[in-house]
Formats: sequence, C-alpha cells, structure tokens
Amino acid sequence: MTLKYLIQKEFLQIRRNAFLPRLILLFPVVIMCVMPWVMNMEVKNIRVDVVDNDRSTASQRLVRAVEASSYFIFNGQKGSYAEALRDVESGRADIILEISDHRCLIAANAVNGTKGSMGSAYLSQIVQAHGLAGVEAAAPESAHMSAASAPSVLTLYNKHQNYKLYMIPALFAIVMMLLTGFLPTLNIVGEKEAGTIEQINVTPVSKWAFILAKLIPYWIIALFVVTASLLLAWAVYGITSAGPIWLIYVLAMLLALFFSSFGLVVSNYSQTMQQAIFVMWFFVVCLLLLSGLFTPVRSMPAWAYLTTYVNPMHYFIDAVRTVFVRGGGFASVAHQACALLAIGCAMAVWAVQSYKKNS
Amino acid sequence: MNAIEVNHISKSYGKRVKALTDVSFTVGKGEVFGIIGPDGAGKTSLFRILCTLLLPDSGTALVDGFDVVGQMREIRRRVGYMPGRFSLYQDLTVAENLQFFATLFGTTVDEGYESIKAIYSQIERFSDRKAGALSGGMKQKLALSCALVHSPSVLFLDEPTTGVDPVSRKELWEMLLSLKERGITIVASTPYLDEVRCCDRVAFLSEGVVKGIGKPDEILEQFKDVFNPAGIDKVAESEPSANDSESDNVIEVSHLVKAFGTFRAVDDISFTVKRGEIFGFLGANGAGKTTAMHMLTGLNQPTSGTGRVCGFDIRTEYEQIKRHIGYMSQRFSLYEDLTVAENIRLFAGIYGMKDAEIRTKTERLLQRLDFATHADDLVASLPLGWKQKLAFSVSIFHEPGVVFLDEPTGGVDPATRRQFWELIYDAAQRGITVFVTTHYMDEAEYCDRISIMVDGKISALGTPSELKRRYDQPDMDHVFTYLARQATRSSD
Amino acid sequence: MKQFFSFVIKEARHILRDRRTMLILFGMPIMLMLLFGFAITTDVKNVRTVVVTSQMNARTQAAVERLAQSEYFTIVATAATSREAELLIRSQKADMSIAATAGVKGGGPRWQIMVDGSDPNMAQQWATYAQAILAQPVASEAVSSPSSPLSGGVLVKLLYNPQMRSAYNFVPAIMGMLLMLVCAMMTSISIVREKERGTMEVLLVSPARPLMVVVAKAVPYLMLAFGILVVILLMARYVLAVPLAGSLVWIVGVSLIYILLALALGLLISSVAQTQLVALLMSAMVLLLPVVMLSGMLFPVESMPTVLQWVSALMPPRYYISAMRKLMIMGTGLREVATEVAVLTSMTVFFLTVALVKFKTRLE
Repeated sequence: MTLKYLIQKEFLQIRRNAFLPRLILLFPVVIMCVMPWVMNMEVKNIRVDVVDNDRSTASQRLVRAVEASSYFIFNGQKGSYAEALRDVESGRADIILEISDHRCLIAANAVNGTKGSMGSAYLSQIVQAHGLAGVEAAAPESAHMSAASAPSVLTLYNKHQNYKLYMIPALFAIVMMLLTGFLPTLNIVGEKEAGTIEQINVTPVSKWAFILAKLIPYWIIALFVVTASLLLAWAVYGITSAGPIWLIYVLAMLLALFFSSFGLVVSNYSQTMQQAIFVMWFFVVCLLLLSGLFTPVRSMPAWAYLTTYVNPMHYFIDAVRTVFVRGGGFASVAHQACALLAIGCAMAVWAVQSYKKNS
Repeated sequence: MNAIEVNHISKSYGKRVKALTDVSFTVGKGEVFGIIGPDGAGKTSLFRILCTLLLPDSGTALVDGFDVVGQMREIRRRVGYMPGRFSLYQDLTVAENLQFFATLFGTTVDEGYESIKAIYSQIERFSDRKAGALSGGMKQKLALSCALVHSPSVLFLDEPTTGVDPVSRKELWEMLLSLKERGITIVASTPYLDEVRCCDRVAFLSEGVVKGIGKPDEILEQFKDVFNPAGIDKVAESEPSANDSESDNVIEVSHLVKAFGTFRAVDDISFTVKRGEIFGFLGANGAGKTTAMHMLTGLNQPTSGTGRVCGFDIRTEYEQIKRHIGYMSQRFSLYEDLTVAENIRLFAGIYGMKDAEIRTKTERLLQRLDFATHADDLVASLPLGWKQKLAFSVSIFHEPGVVFLDEPTGGVDPATRRQFWELIYDAAQRGITVFVTTHYMDEAEYCDRISIMVDGKISALGTPSELKRRYDQPDMDHVFTYLARQATRSSD
Repeated sequence: MKQFFSFVIKEARHILRDRRTMLILFGMPIMLMLLFGFAITTDVKNVRTVVVTSQMNARTQAAVERLAQSEYFTIVATAATSREAELLIRSQKADMSIAATAGVKGGGPRWQIMVDGSDPNMAQQWATYAQAILAQPVASEAVSSPSSPLSGGVLVKLLYNPQMRSAYNFVPAIMGMLLMLVCAMMTSISIVREKERGTMEVLLVSPARPLMVVVAKAVPYLMLAFGILVVILLMARYVLAVPLAGSLVWIVGVSLIYILLALALGLLISSVAQTQLVALLMSAMVLLLPVVMLSGMLFPVESMPTVLQWVSALMPPRYYISAMRKLMIMGTGLREVATEVAVLTSMTVFFLTVALVKFKTRLE
C-alpha cells in the first residue's frame, strides 16, 4: 500500500513547513472572527444633510424625526442645496433632504446603487410617516385606505435580518476555497521546481496513488477547517446551523474534492508558482463572483446565469445556505449535492489524466 | 602591490555556525589563486566577503587596494564575480543573456568577444535558444561567458566548472591563463585536481580555517589523504566471457533515436549492458547522455528504435521497468524537508516494502553509512557529499536490477567521491547493474566498461584498458579529449 | 543610461515571455469589468414567486397578474397552503410567496407576503417592490413599472448614477485592486526571484548602482500598470458607458501617485521576503485581501465596527478608490479630493523612504 507512505510524506512536509501549519490554524480563526463584521452589506450610518427652506413646524418635526432615526446620522442643516451638494461631493454627506413649499426633495449619492436606493427609500418612508402637513392633507382618505390594504410582510428564516447569519455559510466556502484550492496548486509546481517530481516519476507509483496522496491531506484539512468554522460561528456569534450538521460536512467535503482537484489540474499545467497562483486566482475570482455569494444569481442576464450550472461554488453556496439558514434537509439539497459530486469527480479524473509520468 | 590582502577575517552565522575563523592571505597582482577544501569549508562565504556582499565580523580585507567594508562602490566597479549557484535568466535566449550582462558590466559583446571566444563559440549556434532549455553543462558555459565578457581587474570564480565536461574545462582554463597574461588577478575554487594544478598558489581551507598556503603540488602532497585517496582496488576486471548468454543482458538498446524537431539529441545508439556490470556512460555536455537515460528510465518516449531494460520494452512497458530500477538524477532529488529516515521510509514504501523490513534495513544502512546519529536530521542540513551518498543508498534500497546515476558526484570533494565509489562497488557485487554518467575521468577508470558519446552517437565502447590501447592514449582523460575534439556539432 | 535601457528591455522580455501571466494580467481587468458591468447586479429581477391559491378570487387574480407581468417577479408555482409554499422556499425552489386572505369588510384583499430573509437586503427590496405592485389601485389597470415604490409622494433624485448601475461603484475599485496587484505583487516577486535564483548577487557586484537596478526593474511594471489603466478606462467609457465625468488629467495624476505607492510597497516586500512563495503570500495577505475586504470595494466601510474602520483607514487603496469615485463618477474637482490626495502623497513619501532605506546592497 504505497498510498500510506505518500500521504505520510505529504503530512510531514506540511508540518515541516514554517508557514503552512500556522496558516491552516490561524486562517479560519481570523476569517471567522473578522470577516462577518466586514462582510456586512447592511446599509447603515447614512449621513444626511438637511436643507430646510420651509422652516415650518411641520418641517422641523420632520428634521427631528430624521435626527432621531438610528438609521441616519444627522449631518446638520445647510443653508442651500448647493452647499449641501458640495458636502456630498467631498464625501462628507451621502444624502440631501431639501424641504421647501410643502414638497420634499431627496437627493442621494447613488454611486453605490444599493446604498443610494435603500437610503432614499428609508428617508422617504420617514418623510411619509411624519409627513408634512401638505402631503397629509392631500389625501387622508386614500392614505387610510392603503394602510388598511397594505400587504403584511412575513420574513422567513433570518428573522432578525442578521447579515452575519447570511454571510457565515459563505465564509465556509471562502475559507475552504482558499485553503483547499491554493495549497494544492502550489504543491505540484513546488515539486517541479525542486526537482523531486522527477525522482517520483521513475518510481512505480501509479498516477492515481500519487494524485490521491496529494488530495487526501487537503480533505482532512478541510474537515478540520469546517469543524473550526462551525465552532467559531457558535462561540463568537452564537449562530448555529438550522439544518443537520452532517449535511454541511458532506457538502464541504464535496467542495473540497472539487477545489483540491482543480488546484492540482492548474498545478499540472503550470511551470512556475507565479503562473499557477495567477491562473488559480483568475478562476477563483470568476467562480466566486458568479456564485451568488454576494449578489442574487437570478438578477444576472441569461448568459451569465447559464454559467451557474457548471459553477460548483454556486451549488455549494445555495445548498449550504439552505441547510444552515433555512434548515433544509437532504431532500432540499440533493440536487446540488449530486451536481457538486459530478463536477468534483470530473475534476479529479482530469487531475489524474493531466499528470504525466512519461512524455 | 598585492591585488588582495586578507587580514584575520572571521565570520559566523548566528551563534553556532562559524563559517570563517581568522583567515589571512595575500594574492599578488596577476596571480591565479586557488581556494580548495571540502564542502562547508567556508569558501563561498569568503568569496562573498571579498565581493562586498557580506560584512565580515572582524578583520579587514583589501581588494585592488580598496577596503571591502568602506569602499564597496569602488570594488564593485573593479571586480567580476561568478557565484557557485549562478543561474541565468531562464526565459531569455542565450544571446540576450550575454548581451544583458555585457551591457551591465559596461561593455559590449563585440568588445568582450575575444576573451570568451573559446567557450562561447561552442554555444553560439544556439544563441536563439532560451537558456532554460539548455542542458546543465551548457548553462554553466553560458554563465561563464556572461561572467567573463568584461575584463575586470580581479575575477572571483566560485566552482565555475561543476558539471562541465573535461574538454571544456581544459579550454576554460587555457582561457583563464590567457586572462592572467593581461594582468587580471583570478581567485577560483574547484574540486578538480587538474584545475588545482593550474593555479600559481592555492589555499587549503577546512572548517573555516586556512590549513596551508603554497604551490599546488606542495599542498596536494601535504594533505594527500584528503585530495589523493588511494585508488580503489578493482575487483578482478571481469573480461566479458564469450559464453555469456543473451538473457544476462540487463539493458539492450538498438538504434535508439530521440529527436526534438529536426534536432536529433540521441542519434541511433545501440549497446548492451550485462548483469552486475558498472557501465560508464560518458560524453561531452549536451552529447545526449541525459536524454538517453530519460528514455531508458521511462521518463521519455523514444522517437524510433527499440530498447529493453530488465526484459521490458521501454516504449510500452515503462511502468514495469520503473519497478525494477533505481534512479538518481543530476539535481539532488530527495525531499529536503524530510529527515534521513523519513526519506528512506518513503521511497522504500513506494516500492512496496513491508514496514518491518524497512525498519531493519534502514538500521543496517545507517550503520554502514555512519549516519546512525543523523537519522532524524533534515536532509537540507546535510553537506552535499552526504546527501549524494544518501541519495544513492536510497536509490538501491529496494534492490533494483539496474541503478541509473546521472552525474552523481558533481561538485563533491575527492575524499567523499572515493567513499561514494566504494558504495557503487558494494552494490555491483550484490549483483546490481550500475549505469553511471560522470565528468571525472578518474571515475571512468573505475568502470568495467564505458561508452563515449559524441554528437548523439556512441563513438567508442569497451573496457578502459581496451580503449586506451585502441586510441593509443595514456589515460582516459586523453581518450576522452581525443574523441570529444572530433565533435562536429557543438554541445547543446 | 545604456545600462538602464538594457535593464528595462530585459525586464520587459521577462514579462512578455510569460504568456500565461500576461494573459491573466490583461484578461483579469476585462473579465472583471464585464462581470461587474453586466453579470453582477443587485437589481430586483426574476424573483421566483409562489402563489398560495387557497383564497383566490377575480380581484386578487388581477393583482397576481400584475405581479407576473412585471419584470421583477416570475410566478414559478402555485401552492395550496402557506405551509407548502414555505417548503418550496426552504428547498430553494422559490424566493417569495404571496397569499391573499379575506380583507376587512368592504376593503380590498389583505395580502400576506412571505419572503426568504436569508439575504436581508434583498429580502427587504423584494418585499418593498411586491408591496408597491400589489397596493396599486385597481383602477390603474395599466401596468406601470413601479418606478415609484421608492418615492411615494416625495421626489427622489438619485445623483450621479440614476440607473443605479453597480459598474459605477466597481470600476474605481477594480482600478484600485489591479494597479496594486500589478505594481506591488509583480515587482516584489520579480526582485525576489532574482534573489532566489542567485542572479541578484551578480547584479549587486556589477558596477551598476543598486538603486538603478531597482528603478529599472520597476519601469516595465509601471508601463504595464498604465496599459491596464488605459484598458480599464476605455472599457469603462465605451463598453460599460460609465461616464468619465472628471478631468482625465487628474484621474491619471492621482493614479500615478497610487502606482508609485504600490511600487514602494512592492519594493518593501521584496527586501523582507527571501523566497517567491513568501513574497507571493505576503502580497496576497497584506495587500490583496485588505484591498478587497477593507477598502470599501465590496462592503461599505461605514457598516464595519469602529476598530475595523480604523484598520481600513490605514489601507492606501481606500483613499484611491474614494478619490476615483469622486473624480470619475461624480465629476468633482480637485478640491473635493484634497484629503485623499494628501493622504496618498504622504503615504507614498513614507513608504518610498522606508523602502529605499531598507533596500539591501549586501546579502544578509
């Protein structure tokens, strides 16, 4: 059983490396402790400049309401719209509320579209709620009507609208991707540069044994990483999975299968570490951006949406969020798991095929 | 006036490693000065200090009248330096490399051409090839051309001829001696005794201490147990007997060709090697030795021709061949980040040996090599000679039918080389066929039979005494030079 | 001077010979621009909706029709009960469900919207859009796209980016990331590679001054960075139709300061790192990750905890990206970006000084 010796060798090499053990231990910890705070797309702390040309009681009531809102940071009153606009231009304010003649103008900096639109939506809600006399007077009847028939909204799963809950499963994916994707990428190129691969190539080691010996250590690392991430999510944020934990492990292993194989494929085709890293990085960024991790996949145009059918990252994110956030069982994610398995196996076969012992 | 004055230089790395201790010597202007000694003697540290790359801990040194600590810029303008590990820009072509270094040193290829002609003319044919695609010895020649293209007042060469074939080494030294006539001072280190004899004076450095300075012959005589170990008593030269059956041939090659495009690296070679034989596979740099070996070990497919190793076809059954051979490549190729014992265990395991067997054999091996106390040392921390002995032992650990050794003793000092050959004899006696390439002609004498490759073809094949007789030359060195000088294609 | 040019030519050859890396270096900005410009949007679109049919009548049917006809929602299934609908959402077959219950006497139907709240932002937007469509008075049957769900009685003006295209936000960020990557990472790796291969020893001992060696090495990367900058700007203008509102001179000027800063950082890394791998990891960890995560490229800085906001204040790309957003998209003058430019300049001077002081003219 030559596999045993080869795997032992891989582990010894990882342990001997001055850098890798620390990376493997610290990376998940740092990512899980810092990133949920960073990856917060919640729109918050929007700075508002108010230009009150009206100076009526109604307008002052509105200004106080804006001031009181925890959502906005009241940036002070400005004398004119032009003055407020300069504030926006120099980045001191994000949104302008101009009140004049019973009319309101909300001007939002929409360079960041989400921030601009959500900020202005909130602000207009406040304006409507503490509406100016004029607006109120306009149609008290219909206002009443619409209130009565306003649809009620029930938010499922993430009831507290906690961004961390949404992002933590995505972080599993990022940590897995970086550790089980990039380390194998460097591995075979490293042996090529050191010349040891030639020695291995003249031994009777089979391609499968060699590639498997390269993959298995990273799966074990992946197991550790998932465990650490789950524990940290629970210990630091008190967030636990809504669905079965074993399912998360299964999904993570399938993702590790894909990424470690993919890393080896890139490694097999590369001559230098720099090349390998750059190629890997390119693909990883594309997979990540098109996976629905940050933005909903269904907002994409059709051509981009088609790519999600072969994007393992998309299947993983979809499935792990279903399990972790929505509490889905195996039946809910069977389709994604099968797709991951198929893509992962195809990639592993490619990794073996692309490793050439004889040229 | 002295070109170099070294006074009481000491240098240590960290607290434990003392590289140089109280080193003093002077080199006269226009002198060829040799620095010799085993690996880890501190030669490279000394070169680096003289080139202003390292600061000495104590002591002073003057190069061309300038202080190595205070007058760095002056010295750098006047010296030429070729580090032992000199590597070219692999992705630039031969001509581009040379041109770049010429401009760097403030000269042009045309101006410096005369001083490098002897070596560069051999590789000029490949001036459009990328340096990374050259063979090992060729790279060294290009590196030398790059280092010599300008004419500095002092030239430092740190083992410039490692991996270079004997003919080219002679040409290089002829060239250096012509530089000397132009008043250039040369300081060089080398493991080759014939090169040591070319120097005016040599300093013998061991464990960071100068043990002796003087004329080469005096020093070689004074420390002859280090430099001139007694030759190995050859086990009665086994003249091939006529009744050897066909089945006793471990390697059979006929009309083997390997072509890269229109270039035939190996051009129609045929030979056989018998069981238990030590077969020396000689040739100039780029004659096609390594390519031929890659085909025999199943790393490369031949373009045409047939070959059998241990009874298996090299074209179709290369995976079976790998089961029955051992291989030690030109580059040292054990895992540097594993310990001695772990490397042995890994490779033994790969060949399917059982745990218990591995353990007992490992113990025996370490004892024989006197390595027992170093079993848990990282391979990276061993001196080069030890690494090579270890790599050889690992390559025959699973008792293969044939072991292929590609320049196993490049850059190793004479005493260690001798020990290495004892190991080879040992293996041959146990019935392991040894197929070895080397650039040391004294080693060629140790072989049972040798072949000499020129331009991808085998131009001579026989026992050393046969060949000496046939070409009417006193020793193998002359046989080799005689044959290699007939080469029409420059080495590649 | 001749030495200098031969150095630059040599370095340019290294870059040009490594086709794969070149391909990635120019492929990356193009790919990113296309992805961010066309593929990655947070627009509300094709939200998969389930209709709970238990209490449907003609009026509610009409409302559902309106929903289906809008480009925002697609009706993917009908379910008999809310429970069934929830199951569909849980297994990711749908994102939202609507159900009508008998309304108050005489009034319209009462709608209940169930929305998958995993992604809080999107959930909120979906709900807002759906509410707006459902609440439209029956009279105005003509389906108007709800350009008004956000405004309702108030005039809302979205400055600089009225269509809320995410490309406007990302183009400056991509510039910040790639310029840093090319200048810092590539420069440091190329210097460390010479150390690793042993050619640095020869270069140091040669008559060429070490400083010239370094400057000459940086020049091709500087040109490469400019090439990439031009590609990005051209693509932004002509493919993504992002306006270059500000003065081109200043955009290029501020970029130049930033490129110098990145070169200084690369030089600093190269004098610390001994192997390519370390240089690679250091630039990835110290430069790339913070740029993507902490500079406000993907995630707004204001939403981070205070401590991280301080950390982010130390990230050079943050100032560059902010300056570029103002100059390029908002079209402000130099006065508005004075702070950013001042910070960038002082950082450049600081790092350049440290890098030059730290640069080793001898081996360790």
